[in-house]
Amino acid sequence: MAAAVEQAILVSAAAVAYTHDAEAAQAPRSYIPTMRRSLLTSALLLATVGVVPAGAAEAAVPIDFERDILPIFTRFGCNSGSCHGKQAGQNGFKLSLLAFDAEFDFDALTKEGRGRRIFVVDPERSLLLSKPSGRNPHGGGRRIEPGGPEYQRLLGWIRAGMPRRTPDAASLVKITVKPEQEILALKGTRQIEVTAHYSDGTKRNVTRYAQFQSNEAGIAAVSEDGIVQAQGICGEAAIMARYMGQIAVFRPTMPLPGDVPASVYDELPRKNFIDGLVWKKLQRLRITPSQGCSDEKYLRRVYIDIIGRVPTSEEARKFLNDPKPDRRERLVNGLLEQPEYAEHWANKWADLLRPNPYRVGIKAVLNYDAWVRRAFRKNMPYDQFVRELVAARGSTYRNGAVTLFRDRRDPGERTMIVSQLFLGIRLECAKCHHHPFEIWAQEDFYSFAAYFAKVSRKGTGLSPPISGSEEVFFSSPGTGTLKHPRTGATLAPRPLFGSAPKLDGETDPREALADWITSKDNPFFAKVMVNRVWADLMGRGLVEPVDDLRATNPPTNPELLAALAADFQKADFDIKSLVRRITASHVYALSSLPGPRNVQDTHHYSRHYRQRLRAEVMLDAISGITGISESFSGMPPDSRAKELWTTRIGSLFLDAFGRPDPNQDPPCERTPDTTVVQSLHLMNSANLYKKVTSDTGWAAELAGSKRKPEEIVEQLYLAIYSRTPDSQERVIGRGVFQKKGITRRQAAEDLMWALINTPEFVFKD
Amino acid sequence: MNTTTNATSRYCDGMTRRSCLQLGLGALTGAGLTQMLQLRAESGDSGARKRSCILVWLDGGPTHYETFDPKPNAPKEIRGEFEPISTSVPGVHFSEKLVGLAKAAGDFAVIRSIRHNQGNHGAGNHYMMTGAPPRIPVSCGAFVSFHPSLGSVTAHDRGESRGLPLYFSMPRMSRSGGPNFLGARYAPFVVPDDPNGKDFRVRDVALPKGLAEIRFGSRRELRGLVDKLKRIDDKTAGDPVLALDDYYRQGYNLVTSPQAQKAFNIHSESDKVRESYGRNSFGQRALLARRLVEAGVPFVTLYEGGWDHHGGIFPACRKRLPKWDQTLSTLLEDLSERGLLDSTLVLVLGEFGRTPKINKGGGRDHWSNAMSVMMAGAGTPGGTVVGATDRAGYSAVDRVLSPENFASTVYTKLGINPDQALYTPQGRPVHLVSDPTPIQELLG
Repeated sequence: MAAAVEQAILVSAAAVAYTHDAEAAQAPRSYIPTMRRSLLTSALLLATVGVVPAGAAEAAVPIDFERDILPIFTRFGCNSGSCHGKQAGQNGFKLSLLAFDAEFDFDALTKEGRGRRIFVVDPERSLLLSKPSGRNPHGGGRRIEPGGPEYQRLLGWIRAGMPRRTPDAASLVKITVKPEQEILALKGTRQIEVTAHYSDGTKRNVTRYAQFQSNEAGIAAVSEDGIVQAQGICGEAAIMARYMGQIAVFRPTMPLPGDVPASVYDELPRKNFIDGLVWKKLQRLRITPSQGCSDEKYLRRVYIDIIGRVPTSEEARKFLNDPKPDRRERLVNGLLEQPEYAEHWANKWADLLRPNPYRVGIKAVLNYDAWVRRAFRKNMPYDQFVRELVAARGSTYRNGAVTLFRDRRDPGERTMIVSQLFLGIRLECAKCHHHPFEIWAQEDFYSFAAYFAKVSRKGTGLSPPISGSEEVFFSSPGTGTLKHPRTGATLAPRPLFGSAPKLDGETDPREALADWITSKDNPFFAKVMVNRVWADLMGRGLVEPVDDLRATNPPTNPELLAALAADFQKADFDIKSLVRRITASHVYALSSLPGPRNVQDTHHYSRHYRQRLRAEVMLDAISGITGISESFSGMPPDSRAKELWTTRIGSLFLDAFGRPDPNQDPPCERTPDTTVVQSLHLMNSANLYKKVTSDTGWAAELAGSKRKPEEIVEQLYLAIYSRTPDSQERVIGRGVFQKKGITRRQAAEDLMWALINTPEFVFKD
Repeated sequence: MNTTTNATSRYCDGMTRRSCLQLGLGALTGAGLTQMLQLRAESGDSGARKRSCILVWLDGGPTHYETFDPKPNAPKEIRGEFEPISTSVPGVHFSEKLVGLAKAAGDFAVIRSIRHNQGNHGAGNHYMMTGAPPRIPVSCGAFVSFHPSLGSVTAHDRGESRGLPLYFSMPRMSRSGGPNFLGARYAPFVVPDDPNGKDFRVRDVALPKGLAEIRFGSRRELRGLVDKLKRIDDKTAGDPVLALDDYYRQGYNLVTSPQAQKAFNIHSESDKVRESYGRNSFGQRALLARRLVEAGVPFVTLYEGGWDHHGGIFPACRKRLPKWDQTLSTLLEDLSERGLLDSTLVLVLGEFGRTPKINKGGGRDHWSNAMSVMMAGAGTPGGTVVGATDRAGYSAVDRVLSPENFASTVYTKLGINPDQALYTPQGRPVHLVSDPTPIQELLG
């Protein structure tokens, strides 16, 4: 199962690429897959593109329910998730979501509704025709044109006696799009044509019935008729076409106008393979990268990224005074050995794994948290980390990893968390119906879930709000099976693709599953992890969302993702070596300020993307700078925010800055946004005010020392901005101390407050 | 009546309600309140702006027998110790402690026939707060969110409003009062402090105690001087620093704008007004809610804990109901006198009603087969009683309604279409209310 297999999976995978980037978050509504298309436009398209299936042409070929009728429902939004396709249907009429269950739809039309949906004696009076064509009141309005091609086809099907299957009807094999790739002008347009290929070798142009979605509508949008419109921003997009569960992708590239000599790229620094692969991409887009960043910026970045805090003034001074050329490398190596590395990275994984202790139990969650922290302290290889989780057994009082199974209690829940976290494959849709935008069927879901069918438990289950009892997890003998919820078929454990070790009925099936997941032949495993780490360090994942890998959501730089994954595998899944690799690249050390040819680049790493500090990083930084540690309930004195074992420990600060809320479902969302509440909190919160003005704090200490104002100013700049003040800033700083009516102590406090309240502190730049 | 935050508010699940999330995540966008007030002034008609909502949440599940649905003809072990009293609406009776509300009955409606199937706090809260039942079984202790709350949806709908946060919750967020997939911008701005306190101020919106205004001014000036990080002005660069700048401007506006501070300054109310609302935390929160609504805030939740009367329900109600009655009737009267009632929807409810039979401890337990919900303002026809429970109050029997009908009514009144799909960040369509049928009698 090497790259070829993966490619096959990715290429056949279907998906509406609902993006989830910053733009989408700001304007979620613009990402709504619109189902309504103007009938007029469609008619025009029909005329211009010359779509085959229409009226007379069809009369010769018998109408087939699956080939000819179901696509109409998808095309006009009838079976969408917001209409008859939703769980409860609409007004008593339910269709399967996007026609994934033809049998169900056939019954819904022909057998339910007391025969009113289809009125055989007078077909035109069938609700199936009168409602969507607007002759009878219809909540969804008029969807098909009375007398139009779809109307005629539905009518013809009813007149023909509503055949379920016509003999020899060809089945759909795949769809293709034309073109597959193309370079477009910044504001170029392109009509996509979608062709359906059938088992009898015939083809049809199904553009009219296909649905389209762009993964980057801000870069290239697509109309409901498949017309791609570049938006005037240089970059790349993936436009997905979907037709009856099949998908194909068109990838337009819009380079920046104007030529850049090849020598520009040839002369860029190449510290490791990352640089070359990024430059190659930039060259294709004719983007040029920013300048390298200063030592000061680099210092601040690696402290924040590797150990989750800003350097102290002494640490900053030491590095900035280091004249040796290998100082950055030594700095990174030193940071990777600090105990804070483990706490910071465990805190990130806690977001993904750690449940609400009031539901799952305090002791179980405490042990789970401790297990994750221990793994990072030992620098446990990532494959072992995942294996110990996926195949965890024993008592929640003794093995923290087993809390995964106490938290996710049935095979379905376990399937979802395991596939998403460790493979970047989101299966939740396939639990209840065919994944609407992917190849995954319910059968795939339950076959995968069958690996967890033999997990047994003893002890007391969840009894919120305490749930304090012990629970023991073990594997019962046998290989385990699950039933398909719809067909009732018995499903044996089967991986999502490729092959997994055979089950012998004695060994825990989860061992075979862990083998398959962590295998070096499974490209998803390494890719999703390197993508996570890359996103943390670089400000944006090569794939976004970071754990959503699929053909319709392609990486912005597939070669780089593959190379990082291969490198991670070669290093036997050593996370520290991955961090070392990324931070050693020149790309990591680029300035955030754009040059002449990259201001619009937000995807290809031609400059460093600014990130607001994580809640815990910022709070720990503030505690460090002010010299007043935070007091957390139930934690030892001087505990850091990144050491908290649960987000249920109260903190107005951490809540304001978007730490995840385990009460939500799904519980692991952390918000990177800035909000006015954050600025108000930094400005005015009683807590921060106390820290800055405390008699035992650093401002008081500096003011009480013999230091000259210039020295105090320099100390503050080093501790808060990780750099020394320039000459103008020294003048400003001195001015604060010379101001009338302000004590030395107040001056130090005011400057500290002011620096903490600026973006240069709040952001990793 | 300091019952909302102190240790007396113990629940059947044995835990004292911790503040779930006193997070102050609000939804402030755009410029200051001043501008908004100007817009209002220009429109010259307070009715022209969109409606606001004050949601009084009685956490624990208020008894319907001792409030809006007395059952004098039921056996003694059911009807309890209180007598019914007539109201200003002929034929409509409330329980005896609701003296003020009985007089004002012509100004609001009561729904006596909402019933559902979620008989524990976590699930009942979720169902009534969001109009959607929890997706998986949850328990009494649960603080869950599977669906955006009424308040968050309203904030989301009003997203372009300017100045003050769009959704307040006091003194805490209700269990399921959060934004779910709508995102942190639509979480409530929580004001945990007690407005009945002598030196009450809204946290973070007022200067920290001990910092003189003049020093705040000089700090602000200093911040401007030391803030030298280069911004990337090209919008397509997506520089997140620009958003922070915007939020600092808004933050300064809130802190320094006299109008915004005025909205928060409950101390400017006359003693007479403050007394009329009741000199207790709940009373003063209701007054603050009125001030916020007046300043244009579209949604305010007043979270009132301690209604889980499993034991000693009669002494508790004797003590609590008169003050509560005073606050609510004053709120209605005040809104009405200020001409705000037409544009302000007032809701009073909890997660469910309480059991007919009085238990051994002299209390009533959880009962989701019947409950009473009060609704006033925003065109709600006063004096209306929707539906009825049976003779003994066991179950809603006449005009049986669901939490979905309730949520749809609220949304319709607030100008939000309940029959719409919202989209999660993953693009999954979620129906705002699965049964988007509002209660016609209440639409007015």
